Amino acid sequence: MKRTILIIVILVFAFMLNAQIIHHGFVRTYLGALIEQDGEYSVLQNTFDWKLDYGKGDVALYVNPVFDYNALNDNLDISLRQAYVDIYFDNFDLRIGKQQIIWGKADGVFITDIISPRDLSEFILPDFEEIRIGTNAVKFDYYLGNSTFEAVWIPTFESTVLPEENSIWAPEMPYPLMFIDYEFSNVEVENKLSESEIALKYSYLGSAIDFELMAAYMWDDNPTMHIIAQPDSIILVKSEHHRLPLAGASFSKAVGGAVVRGEGAYYFEKRFAPEEFIPNGVKEKDYAHYLVGYDHNWLGVNVSFQFIQEYILDYEEDIRNDEFSNTMTFLITEDFLRETLRLEFFTYYGINNEDALLRPKIAYDLADGFEVQLGANIFVGEEGNFGQYNENDMLFMKVRYDF
Amino acid sequence: MKKITIILMAMLIMSTILSAQEITGLKIIENVYNRPTGQDQEGDLTMSLINSRGDKRVREIKQYLKEFGDMEKKIMFFVSPADVRNTSFMNWSYDKVGKDDDQWIYLPALKKVKRISSDSKSDYFMGSDFTYDDLGDRHPSSDTHNFLREETIDGEDCYVVESIPKEEEYMYSKTITWIIKDKWIGKKKEFYDEDEDLLKILTVKEVEKIKNYLVITISEMHNVQKDHTTKMELKNVKVDTGISDNKFTERMMKRGM
Repeated sequence: MKRTILIIVILVFAFMLNAQIIHHGFVRTYLGALIEQDGEYSVLQNTFDWKLDYGKGDVALYVNPVFDYNALNDNLDISLRQAYVDIYFDNFDLRIGKQQIIWGKADGVFITDIISPRDLSEFILPDFEEIRIGTNAVKFDYYLGNSTFEAVWIPTFESTVLPEENSIWAPEMPYPLMFIDYEFSNVEVENKLSESEIALKYSYLGSAIDFELMAAYMWDDNPTMHIIAQPDSIILVKSEHHRLPLAGASFSKAVGGAVVRGEGAYYFEKRFAPEEFIPNGVKEKDYAHYLVGYDHNWLGVNVSFQFIQEYILDYEEDIRNDEFSNTMTFLITEDFLRETLRLEFFTYYGINNEDALLRPKIAYDLADGFEVQLGANIFVGEEGNFGQYNENDMLFMKVRYDF
Repeated sequence: MKKITIILMAMLIMSTILSAQEITGLKIIENVYNRPTGQDQEGDLTMSLINSRGDKRVREIKQYLKEFGDMEKKIMFFVSPADVRNTSFMNWSYDKVGKDDDQWIYLPALKKVKRISSDSKSDYFMGSDFTYDDLGDRHPSSDTHNFLREETIDGEDCYVVESIPKEEEYMYSKTITWIIKDKWIGKKKEFYDEDEDLLKILTVKEVEKIKNYLVITISEMHNVQKDHTTKMELKNVKVDTGISDNKFTERMMKRGM
């Protein structure tokens, strides 16, 4: 019923404003097959991503309904990725509604980029536009020369979307499922003013350097699993969201024809699960997450490298996570045939667990806006963020038409 | 009388010296570089990429540029094809010799403005026959210029100047430019590859006078080795309309046209 109403609202909206509305978007078929399961299809999806723009004077509307048809379970999913109103003034803008807000200078790593929650139901494999969930927010930007002051108020909390229990992307659990009793009574954050999130950012873009300074009073988008031993030897896992204040900064600077980037954030009292059972089932520690990156173009080949470190301060040996977690990313791309053929190789490498995700891809434009992609997601290692999925190596094909 | 003769002689010598100076290769190229083009300009750019079979692909861009003393800022909004729609590109270039351009790109899928490496001037712009460097104003001091001859093309009297880059690794071994006398605007330019073979020919097809400024509105770059052509058309050109400084900011890159 909700879907029907949504479709009617969109169509009425489109019809009413048809004269001035700008339609664009894409249609895509996406097929994924698991290599180690004899090519069993893990994805068979058709998507219609429709973007509607309407502007009159200093007010603009943007609506982005997405129709996803999953052929594996014959399910049509309709959602609004974004739907907002922009109001422009001389020196400031307001954006009100469901919106994706992206901060920071890192690529494919979320450090100060914590405003929009993520949809991790297919791990981090979808395009970043599709991983980020639009959040209901009021965003205020004030401009002064090359500086921007941004304030974001998020009245209702939205959590990260985690893979379903029976999904091939469900993360490894530390205990066998049969001995676990889940309690989700505290997982929801109440919809009230005192539970809202606030984030502030100052950014500067100039010849010498670009940088951002930010501070935020958020909720941790990922629920903390409080793991508590019970007298009947069943382990109780209480899933709960906690407040997460943080402050951070990022920069990018041209150095001798290359670009050097950095980003870091300090999270206050983040919760970590311990190895041993303790009364509250969780430890509170300050935590730092930072990165350095380097981008260069050598004779038409774009190369990008990032080193990322996570550090738990005042570390105690019985915390399940390592004190230092180190990850590297590497991206190499090159265009051929007048930018109609693109080769890309992206990899995450987890240093602590010696695991990796390798993502080679070839994309060819059959015509302008009509692209065919062939690629693979190869997981290497036995454990860690990527190694835990080593059964999920996948070949994929995407055919996409932009209009 | 003697004094007058001496003064006349001196004036004649001076004018000969000046005349000789005027026709040096460097002077010609400097005059082209310093030709007034207005404080700001906007227009709709259409690039048609035509291969040897005559197949055509079209790219449309809305562009704005403005002089800021010793720097020029330029912002481009990509209109078509559909897969690059709402992408924007900003370039700040500097008069100071040796100072690299600053460049940023806004990709709507990533929703953030990203600083990009400017060390890619030999890359071709959007698959066209123009490199990023071909589209910019190359500083006269980057090359050694030799005045070769005078020649008439399409009824226009031109100076012909050979320019040899001082940088050894530059993508062209030399260029030869035909410059219309008195107008100080290019008519034709030949680009030679590293083996000194002719690579590309740029032909200016149409020049319009807008508010007393000469603006190239139609030009064509033909890669003779690959038999591929890019036709560049600039429409709805406006000059000196007082484009706001705020047009060349992160805000506008995200907001679009």
